[in-house]
Amino acid sequence: MNNLGRRKRIDFTDLYRFSIGLIAGIIMFFPIYLTVVGGFKSKGQIFINPFGLPNPVSLEAYEAILIRGQAYWTFLFNSVVVVAGVLLLILTFSMTAGFAISRLSFRGNVLLYNFFIMGMLFPLTVAILPLYLQMKSLNLLGSRAGVILAEAAFNYPLSIFIFTGFFKEIPRDLQDACYIDGGGPLMFFYRILVPLSRPVIATVSIIVFIMSWNQFLLPLLVLSDSGTFTIPLGVMQFQGQFTTGWNFIMAFITISILPMAVFYFTLQRQIVSGLTSGALKG
Amino acid sequence: MNTHIVSQKSRIKLKESLMVIMLVAPALIIFTTFVVIPVIQAGYYSFFKWKGLGPLNDFRGIENFVRAFKHPVFITALMNNLKIVFLSLFLQLPTAFLLALLIGRKGFFGSMVFRGLYFFPYVLAEIVVGIIWKFIYDPQYGIPTFFARLFKGGDIQIGLLGNLDYAFTAIFIVIFWKYIGFHMILYIAGLQGVPKELEDAAVIDGANKFQVVLYVIIPSMWSAIIISVFLSVIGSFNVFDIVWAMGQGGPVHSTETLVTYLYNFGFKRFAFGYGSAIAIIIFFLCLIFNIFYQKYVVAEK
Repeated sequence: MNNLGRRKRIDFTDLYRFSIGLIAGIIMFFPIYLTVVGGFKSKGQIFINPFGLPNPVSLEAYEAILIRGQAYWTFLFNSVVVVAGVLLLILTFSMTAGFAISRLSFRGNVLLYNFFIMGMLFPLTVAILPLYLQMKSLNLLGSRAGVILAEAAFNYPLSIFIFTGFFKEIPRDLQDACYIDGGGPLMFFYRILVPLSRPVIATVSIIVFIMSWNQFLLPLLVLSDSGTFTIPLGVMQFQGQFTTGWNFIMAFITISILPMAVFYFTLQRQIVSGLTSGALKG
Repeated sequence: MNTHIVSQKSRIKLKESLMVIMLVAPALIIFTTFVVIPVIQAGYYSFFKWKGLGPLNDFRGIENFVRAFKHPVFITALMNNLKIVFLSLFLQLPTAFLLALLIGRKGFFGSMVFRGLYFFPYVLAEIVVGIIWKFIYDPQYGIPTFFARLFKGGDIQIGLLGNLDYAFTAIFIVIFWKYIGFHMILYIAGLQGVPKELEDAAVIDGANKFQVVLYVIIPSMWSAIIISVFLSVIGSFNVFDIVWAMGQGGPVHSTETLVTYLYNFGFKRFAFGYGSAIAIIIFFLCLIFNIFYQKYVVAEK
């Protein structure tokens, strides 16, 4: 009897938590909902009925963007190129640097480590004006390569920090065993360290992917021709052009966040833990 | 014989140091070129009046810094950043904490789904989020207008973003919405470290819910709170994209933040000396906060 009463009470608090959670969830998700349904409405519908479901569903905006227009595909291509470039530069070179710092004894490795880590103190904004001039003098202004290099540069501190920390934990015995078998340090690096680092590679990739995919200030500074724009710049430009056509803007935003949404909802657990562990480490 | 061994040893050494250089050089060169040198240059340029072209010879000492603090728009920007810091710490983070308490328990039905929903805005680009909310605030189609028409009737238009009194609040709501899930997740991670026995013991000793939270839960997850506060403050000093998307600091500079100010008054006008001074001010604000925080909050733990 006593037991039964207790269980009932727990259910009741859970129901109460669930309802508040649900209301908060609806409020949190409402802007996303508006965006998605907005893209399927005609201009007239947005005016009469901005919040409800589209009735009838209009594909006018999507047709204009995906089939008749070129801009979205260009922005998507540029974003993919930039993110891929940044990932490549970050993963290869922060792993090699982290490997040298943590596993090879050379004079100045602590100093070098601190030199990189110090970079975490500087927000991107501190350096943007001289960075612009630097890009100009290196002839990188207007190029995606410039964006890639700058984004990679600002992410080395965190990624080197994460990789160095992980490599340090790997037992010395493994390295000795590899040497005894006649392998050099490089053999140890790519035969043993790299395969062992898969989870860390995933964490760093997630952090870097989201940072780079969403980055706005750096591309805004470096890029000027809309043919080289990444998605965030493209969205900004697009909404400037179609000031009256909210259905177009909403459709454009929906397909812009679609890659991120798919990525997020399939790998939610890894993404959430990757981003928070990145923050906890940083 | 002996010298032979030594020379072989030194050859191995040389080979090793060559390898170290090859391994470290790419990251080091990129990092130095695009982060370290520009940061040092920003410090140097901040003492000059310079348009970014021609010789750097118009040395002005601390004039740029003095000028900034005499410029009303800069003060507005600085105050807006401080308001964002304050509102985040006293509204956003406590709400995130309550949400974490509400749904953070393991095994709670729907917990993972809710986490996913609340966290989702965090992975979206700020610029995209800004534009979505521009629609929500749209004077013609937006939610404020909708409710005004519903309750008052007639053809009313409410344009919060164009209104000097409400634009800042409207923008803060977006920041609140975008980052609350992230802080909630940090707190949920922290809650996992709260020993259940301690909570139970407190309840047995007659503590009420509020006391349990205040004296058991919060102290046990202090490190998560420390990190969340730190990220929130540093982030608040660097707000740019959202404000840019929603009105580029307008109307009439009322929603300007330090970084939009840097962009509008430094970069756009090619005032590289003055802009660098603003950048250095932002850096020092973050640095001073960082030092105090490490010394008085992190060390206390």
